[in-house]
Amino acid sequence: MSRGRDAEYTEYVAARLPSLRRLAGVLCGDWGRADDLVQATLTTLYVHWGRVRAATHPDAYARAVLVREFIRERRSVWVRQVSLSGQVGDCPAAAADHDAVLDLRAAVAGLPPRQRATLVLRYYCDLNVDQAAQILGCSPGTVKSQTARALEAVRRALGPAPDLSREARP
Amino acid sequence: MSETQLRALFAQIAADEPAGSRIDTLRAHRRGRARLRWRRACVASGSVLAGAAVAALAVGVGPARPGPGPAAAGPAAPRQFSPLVPYASFGWLPARVSLVSGGIRPTESYMDAGPQGDPEWTLAVYARGQCHLTSSASGVNCPGAKLPISQRAPDVAGHRAFWYSPGLVWQYARGGWARLSIPAPNLSAVLHSKQGLAGQALKIARGVRYGVTTRLVFPARFSGLPSQWQVHNISYYERDGGLLRADQYMLTTGSSRFHPHVGDTGVWTDAPYIIVHPAPRKGTCSPHDPSSQNTSEIINGYQVVLKRMHIGGLPVQELCGAHADGLWFDIQVFGAHPSIDVTSLFRDHMRLLGTNPANWTSQPIG
Repeated sequence: MSRGRDAEYTEYVAARLPSLRRLAGVLCGDWGRADDLVQATLTTLYVHWGRVRAATHPDAYARAVLVREFIRERRSVWVRQVSLSGQVGDCPAAAADHDAVLDLRAAVAGLPPRQRATLVLRYYCDLNVDQAAQILGCSPGTVKSQTARALEAVRRALGPAPDLSREARP
Repeated sequence: MSETQLRALFAQIAADEPAGSRIDTLRAHRRGRARLRWRRACVASGSVLAGAAVAALAVGVGPARPGPGPAAAGPAAPRQFSPLVPYASFGWLPARVSLVSGGIRPTESYMDAGPQGDPEWTLAVYARGQCHLTSSASGVNCPGAKLPISQRAPDVAGHRAFWYSPGLVWQYARGGWARLSIPAPNLSAVLHSKQGLAGQALKIARGVRYGVTTRLVFPARFSGLPSQWQVHNISYYERDGGLLRADQYMLTTGSSRFHPHVGDTGVWTDAPYIIVHPAPRKGTCSPHDPSSQNTSEIINGYQVVLKRMHIGGLPVQELCGAHADGLWFDIQVFGAHPSIDVTSLFRDHMRLLGTNPANWTSQPIG
């Protein structure tokens, strides 16, 4: 890689690092893991810098690298996480309903990595189904079904609620 | 539970972001560069193999290029490096710095050194005729690296040397150049470093040993292949005790072809890309690309995953084993009609040698 490209990479990473780290934090629910994830993502971005700079939306490309790395890494540890009943990270919750937030957080942490990534892309990144599908490398239909399954799993984990039927939309 | 609650949860997690971060962009830079280097080595070798003799001959008989200082006299640099021997080694490194990894291709042998397994210094030694001092002596052009000369450096073992930003390049033998990349943002930082980076760089350069005969060792061996199959573009890692373990390499044959426009750096068809190393504790064969078709099989008693996908319009076969007698391996072959498919290569020709270095081999084919 030439120095010019190195400089471009460094400049890009410096500008996008905070948002990539926050996305990683939301995906992982653990800032230590999030830093590892971003570290791996930055290495991949360096290797594929040609594609990043040529991409129509470099930020979307970077986000896709991070999310796919998250899914790949988490697959192997997901079983362990689930067996721990989705133990919650050490971040304090500031919401008024402390227990409810912790429950929700644990329920989301217990999701398989792809379902969790789907929820994060839809409800943290505010991506539509097509955009999320591009990042996840799957069809829009899969995003819809993953979203539905993830929401259903979270609801099951939280226990029955009277108004579920109104909110269940992928 | 509503979507609103989910959004609030995610926003709250993001807002709880702690100030301190362990992310090291320079480390990502270095690791990315090391990974890219291996991939590029695979790219460059074929064309280099074909043209190396011609290029070397042309330089050897051509007119002497003008430049500051005398050209190196004495023995000539080799025209090509053996694929199984690193050719050069560090003779001196700063405290707490050691060899981490390296690689060999026909015209370049490189090695990375750093503290705690993190590469910082990179030495690249080029075969004869690969680097050229420009006619105005303003730079040294090597394959994949144009090094603009900033100023003359003290001689290295009696040979002319120059500073570039941020590194040192010198002629180590007739027709052969070497360069040392220094862990600093620019040459000014090197020359004014409180740690004495310039002095360290010169000491490293002066300590480099050439013509070493240390052979790499391989945790796998191929047998029964036609004689034209060869090992190329090896990437190796140093283990405790100085053993140089070959982790990544290519097998090439007469029908191997390079496709420069596939992927970032191009790919070879009919040239298996091999990766074998001790299995990481949580190693898996999970595919990066969710669009690949995966099937799990047992071959020779090992649980493996066979993946089929397309990259850049080329069909790709990949065979991966995450825990094969303590080793993790991956074989990838590009092209529609390879001479040998990944399953046959693994089943009929490849033998894994376990994790005990005493059982590894310095003859990967045979």
